[in-house]
Amino acid sequence: MLAIQDLHKTFGNVVALDGCTFGVERGRMLGFLGPNGAGKTTAMRSIFGLIHHEKGSVTWDDNEITINERRRFGYMPEERGLYPKMKAHDQLTYLGRLRGMSASDASKSADNWLERFDLADRRTDPVEALSHGNQQRVQLAAALIHDPELLVLDEPFSGLDPIAAETMGDILREQAAKGTAVVFSSHQLDVVEDLCEDVAIINRGSIVVEGTVKQLKDAAPIRHIELDIDGDPEPLLASLDGIRHTTVNGSMHTVIIDADTDMRGFLARAQNAGRLRHFTYTTPSLSDLFREAVQ
Amino acid sequence: MTATSIIWQVARREITERGRSKAYLITTVVTLLLVLGLVIVPSLLGGGTEEYTIGSIGEGNQPIVESAELLRNAGDEPEDEESVAISIVEFGNLEDAETALADGEVDAVLVDGSEVVVESVGGFGDSAVVSLLQRGAASVELEVIVSESGQAATDVIDVMTSDPLETTTLSGQEAGDESAGVLAYAGLMLLYIAILLYGTWILTGVTEEKSNRVVEVLLSSVKPWQLLAGKIAGIGILGIAQFTGTILVAIVALQLTGAFELPNIGVSSVVTLVVWFVLGFLLYAVMFGAAGSLVSRMEDAQNVAFPMSLTAVAGFFVSIAALNDPDGAAAVIGTFIPLTAPFVVPVRAALDAIPLWQYLLSIVMVLATIAGMTLVAGRIYAGALLRYGGRTKLREAWRSAAE
Ligand SMILES: Nc1ncnc2c1ncn2[C@@H]1O[C@H](COP(=O)(O)OP(=O)(O)OP(=O)(O)O)[C@@H](O)[C@H]1O
Ligand SMILES: [Mg+2]
Repeated sequence: MLAIQDLHKTFGNVVALDGCTFGVERGRMLGFLGPNGAGKTTAMRSIFGLIHHEKGSVTWDDNEITINERRRFGYMPEERGLYPKMKAHDQLTYLGRLRGMSASDASKSADNWLERFDLADRRTDPVEALSHGNQQRVQLAAALIHDPELLVLDEPFSGLDPIAAETMGDILREQAAKGTAVVFSSHQLDVVEDLCEDVAIINRGSIVVEGTVKQLKDAAPIRHIELDIDGDPEPLLASLDGIRHTTVNGSMHTVIIDADTDMRGFLARAQNAGRLRHFTYTTPSLSDLFREAVQ
Repeated sequence: MTATSIIWQVARREITERGRSKAYLITTVVTLLLVLGLVIVPSLLGGGTEEYTIGSIGEGNQPIVESAELLRNAGDEPEDEESVAISIVEFGNLEDAETALADGEVDAVLVDGSEVVVESVGGFGDSAVVSLLQRGAASVELEVIVSESGQAATDVIDVMTSDPLETTTLSGQEAGDESAGVLAYAGLMLLYIAILLYGTWILTGVTEEKSNRVVEVLLSSVKPWQLLAGKIAGIGILGIAQFTGTILVAIVALQLTGAFELPNIGVSSVVTLVVWFVLGFLLYAVMFGAAGSLVSRMEDAQNVAFPMSLTAVAGFFVSIAALNDPDGAAAVIGTFIPLTAPFVVPVRAALDAIPLWQYLLSIVMVLATIAGMTLVAGRIYAGALLRYGGRTKLREAWRSAAE
């Protein structure tokens, strides 16, 4: 497994990582969340030795990670980059060979992935001639070409249309299912909620929440209420203790509330206050957890 | 996977991608055309016979013109064209002759074998024709003196066109063997051009990888110094292929036009030249690579390369000084400054003017500098490659790669 332990990194006076600790096991998929500038990219780069952390360790199966381990990892950087004038197939083959594949294996794997992404007929096109989304697919193929043991993807869903995002999700699921350790960062919390069993939320350089989505939801000290009612909901809501946050969208009120708030009788009171169109009381969504964690 | 096989992969990509690129093909064709032009055009212009027309008034002009021609053509090989051909036009009076001279119909006018009239003195062609005629006239007078003593006139010409003094040199070089110097000079020019040309390729190649951000993917599985080494090897091979091709074409063309005879070059001179060519190229290539990593935009690349280009120019001038005075202070100092040594040492070696210990010490110094530079450049490269925005300072790059 990948284990990141107590990483510290500063750029000048900016603290990018401040004791960041998390892990990813083989066959699992970790959604790595955090607001802009929280340190996600920096943490991912440290796995590949692209930045040198001042303190802490990054290990794979309890071994210090060297270039030999890295060759068995796949990486999709936040800043996508390929050789614009190089043909898609040649490019993938080259990256495969750099990771130690034989010429024929690399070429075969390149063809397989291009086929998978419906790019088989574009295999001899220079990458710059492909659309942005297709370049993104080639970039993903570049991370997968050598069948890595660990897959690190920095915002793989950004810029993808819903269909492409679905394909991306399928591929990540597939990879995890066959035993690859997968970690990706994202700002699309619904995608993460859909896809990942595990999440870690980073804020100001350290992990503030970590666990399986289900555990986190159940253990969360908050609940999520949605209420849509004819008439004024304000007095109704005012009767509740421990409201943390309310958002109003038209007549729909979304409320984050302490989990131990006594809700007995609330539904009856709501029905008395006016015609009830919609009411839910659930464990919080990932977005709720995220907002709570980074505020 | 071994470091060499990774370096080879990187080099191979460089060779196949760059070698197929339009830019490479175009520069190759353009250099070939340029070289062919440089070789062929002068031989078309200058290779033929110099032709003069001389106006003649009175008697005694014919022998002067004849012996001028004879003297000048005495050194020609039998199969070559004559160096000079002079024709004579007779005039009845000086006025007509001067008009013809002013109209450019004749190049000079000889009067009674004792006077020569030209349009003006100081003109390039005028002084050439005057000195030609002067020598002719002198030999006519000599002939008169000599024939009084019973010698044949042709003997005089033989003596006048021979080099009676035997030349020996302190260094034991053979007389008339200027080929070593010529070779050193040619090698020098080539090294200088190669450093600037292919150094720039390395520079922009590195900056390009940084500007299109592919470098982050590469560095996730390749060490920075391996990437740099592969790039230098690949571009080095491509560059040397282009260069060797150009040189071979130039030599063949020179042979065919007969403008130049291949000097008889010793194996050791060629070895020296090749060794120093490789050393010089590597030394500068490493520095260009490190410089390229400091900037993220192509427009800034040339600026960071300026110090290196300047050093190469300085090295070139020191080596010209060494060509004139191979034992002088400039030459000796240049030998022990690693950045100028690749320019200076081959020149001194070709002229047999460098003690063995200096030669060897200089090689060791350059090798050590290349090794040191590779480490320094590798670290700068590693530290600077992922820094974007503006130009990374050397010190920042060095520190951010600290392990
Ligand atoms: N090369 C660098 N030089 C200076 N500061 C940096 C550098 N890289 C990151 N930082 C700083 O470190 C902090 C963490 O940045 P990082 O890119 O890791 O955040 P992130 O979580 O990936 O953000 P985002 O969601 O916007 O991608 C930020 O404050 C950023 O400005
Ligand atoms: Mg980021």
